[in-house]
Amino acid sequence: MSQQHKRDGFSRRQLIKGMGAASLLPLIGGVAPFAIGGQHAGRVVVVGGGFGGATAAKYLKRANPAIEVILVEPAETFYTCPFSNLYLGGLRDMRSIAHGYDELTDRYGVRVIHAMAEDVDTDSREVILSTGRHLDYDRLVLSPGIDIRWNALEGYDEDAADKAPHAWKAGPQTELLRSQLQDMEDGGTFVMVAPDNPFRCPPGPYERASMVAHYLSQHKPRSKVLILDAKDNFSKQGLFTAGWEQLYGDRIEWVGLSNDGRVTRVDAGRLEVETEFGTVHKADVLNVIPPQKAGWIAERAGVTDDSGWVPVKPDTFESRQVENVYVVGDATVAAPMPKSGFCANAQAKVVAAAIAASLESRPAPEAYWTNTCYSLIGPEYGISVAGVYRVQEGAIAEVSGGLSPADAPAETRALEAEYAVGWYNAICQDTWGTST
Amino acid sequence: MRSPRPARHDALRRRLLRSLVATLTGIGLFGLTLPALADGPWQRLEATQAVLGGATPSTRGLVLDLPHVSEDGSAVALTVGFDGELEENDYIERIDLFAVDNPSPEIATFHFTPMNGKPEVSTRVRLNETQDVIAIATSHQGERFATAREVRITVSGCLMRNGNDQPEPLSSPRVSVPSSFSVGEPEEIRTLINHPMETGLREGPDGETLPRHIIERFTVSVNGETAFEAELHQSVSANPYLRFHLAPENSGEALFEWFDDSGESARHEVELSVG
Repeated sequence: MSQQHKRDGFSRRQLIKGMGAASLLPLIGGVAPFAIGGQHAGRVVVVGGGFGGATAAKYLKRANPAIEVILVEPAETFYTCPFSNLYLGGLRDMRSIAHGYDELTDRYGVRVIHAMAEDVDTDSREVILSTGRHLDYDRLVLSPGIDIRWNALEGYDEDAADKAPHAWKAGPQTELLRSQLQDMEDGGTFVMVAPDNPFRCPPGPYERASMVAHYLSQHKPRSKVLILDAKDNFSKQGLFTAGWEQLYGDRIEWVGLSNDGRVTRVDAGRLEVETEFGTVHKADVLNVIPPQKAGWIAERAGVTDDSGWVPVKPDTFESRQVENVYVVGDATVAAPMPKSGFCANAQAKVVAAAIAASLESRPAPEAYWTNTCYSLIGPEYGISVAGVYRVQEGAIAEVSGGLSPADAPAETRALEAEYAVGWYNAICQDTWGTST
Repeated sequence: MRSPRPARHDALRRRLLRSLVATLTGIGLFGLTLPALADGPWQRLEATQAVLGGATPSTRGLVLDLPHVSEDGSAVALTVGFDGELEENDYIERIDLFAVDNPSPEIATFHFTPMNGKPEVSTRVRLNETQDVIAIATSHQGERFATAREVRITVSGCLMRNGNDQPEPLSSPRVSVPSSFSVGEPEEIRTLINHPMETGLREGPDGETLPRHIIERFTVSVNGETAFEAELHQSVSANPYLRFHLAPENSGEALFEWFDDSGESARHEVELSVG
C-alpha cells in the first residue's frame, strides 16, 4: 500500500511523542482506548483552523487520544472575525485577535500542516495539498468558512476588493479598511454595503457600523456612516437602532431594501455604488460586504448544493451528500443556528463526538448546541442574543433563547460589554488555548 | 507504517454500488418522464383545484425558484416563469401562486399579455411556516401547468428583532426601466412601493386586531393598452416588489398603478424608448 500511495508519513515516534504530551494532562474526556503496538483508532483530517476546525481537532483528541488527527491550515496565525470590528473602532490591536496552533501540537498531539487543501477525492478518501502531498483519511472534517461570490454583485471582483475592502475575513483586508478609515478626511462618508441572508455573522455589519461611528465620533466628528442594505430586517435591529440613536445621534443612516437600499452595481475605482432603482451613492471609504458561499474546498469535495452552502445531517453534521465527510461552521446550512464562531465551536464538538463514536461503531451521542452573540455598540455598550438548539423532527430547532432587554439601564449595557470580553477570551481559550 | 486497511475494498465496493444505483435511477427516471406527472400538492387544495378547473396540469416548463431554507419568513424571494413548449400563437396568460399552509393560501395572480414577451415574475412573499409553494400557469388556449417547491422557514438565532417601523401606505412608488428597448425584445422592469400589507390577522400594540389593509391590484399599461396585471393577497410581503418583463413594439408612455383595498391608489409614469 505504502509504495502505491503517496501517504504522508507520520512516524510512530511522532505519534507516541504526541500521545506522551497529551497523557501528561489532567485526565481529559475519560479513559480512552489507546491501542499500543501500531494500531490506532483511525485517522481524521481536519481542513481549516478557525473556530470550527481547531475545536474539532482538539475535541477529537480529547474524545480519544488514539485517533490520529491532522489539521490542514495555510496560515500560521489565525485572526478572528469576532472582535475584528473592535480593531476597526480603535479599541484593540490585531495582535489581540491573533491565535496560533501551539496548544494543538504541543499539548494535544495534533499534527498541523501549514498548506492549502486543494482537492478532495472522496472515493479514495484522500485530501490533496498545495504541496502535492496526499493525505488519506478515515473521516474528513471540513471547516472551510466562507468564500466571496466574486461578481455576484456587478463590479465587485478581487481587484475591486483592493479598493473597496470587504474585510469579512479578518487579516490584511481588515487592516486595509482601518487604514482607509484613518486616511479619510473629516466630513467624509463611510458607506457600507450589507448583504442579503444568509451570510457570515448576521449582526456583524451593524456592530461594524457602530465601531466605525465610535472611531469617527472621536477623530472625525463631521463624518457619517451610511448602510445600504439588501434586507428589510437585521439581527438585533431594535437594540442597534436604539443604541445608535443614544450614542451617535444621526451619524449612522440605515437604508433598507424597501427604501432602495439594495446595491446592484459597484464601481470601486470611483468609490461609487448604484442601487436597484438607480440611486448613485458616493463614498469616501467603501466597505462592500458581498454575497458569500461555502469555502471553496467544500465544492471540491462535492458537499455543497445549488445554494452554494453545505446541507448536513443535523444529528452529526455529516454531509448529506458524501459519506465520511463532516462539515462545521459558516459553510453549513444549520439555520436556525447562525453563522457564528460560537456555533462553529459548538458544532465541532458534536462532530468530534460523532466521529469518535463512529470510529468505534458506537451510535453518536445526542446533540445539542448553544450560541451567544455579543455585539458592541460602544466601548461600554454591549448587547447580546442567545439560543439553545436541539434536533426536533429531523431538523435543528431553537428550544430556548432571548435578547438583551430593550430598555435596560446603562449599567446593564456596560456589564454586557464586559461579558463580551469574557466570552471572547473563553471561546479562544477553548478553541486555540490562547487568550489575551 | 500502518497495517493495511480494508478502505480500498470499501471504496471499490462503494463505487460499484454507486454506478449500479445510478443505472437503476436512470431507468427509473426514463420510465417516469414518459407521461407528464400530474401528482402534486395542487391536487389537495381547494383553491388550486378551482384554478385548474378539473384539468390535469403538465409539470413541464413551469419553473418556480425559491430558497430551500429561508431565515426570514416575512420576505422570501420568489421567481416563477415558464420556459416550456406551447402551440404556435399560444402564450402564458396567467400564473397563480399559493402557499399551502398560510392562513389563506392565495399569494398572487399575474396576468400576462403578448407585450410581456417573457412570462416571468419575481416578488417577495410571506411564509408562515415550512410548507409547499405551488405555481399554476394557464395558457391563452387553456393549457395548464403546475409545479411546487418546499421551503423550510427558520428564524435564525441572530436574526431575532424587536421593533419595526410601519411604512406609509402607497408612498415612494419606484420603477426601474432600461434606457432603451430593441423592438420585440423583452427587458426587465422592476417596481417597488411602500405599503404595510397588513394581513388582518395581527394584533396591534393595544391587543386589538389590526384591520386588513393591502394593495389588491397592480396594473401596467403602455400607450393605453394593458400590458401586465397582478392581483395581490396578504401573503405578499410588505412593500410589494415586482420584477417582470416588457417587450414594447413602439416607444411611448408606460403607466404603473397600485390600488389598495381602502380605495386609495398611486401612479407612476415612465417614457419607454424603443429603437
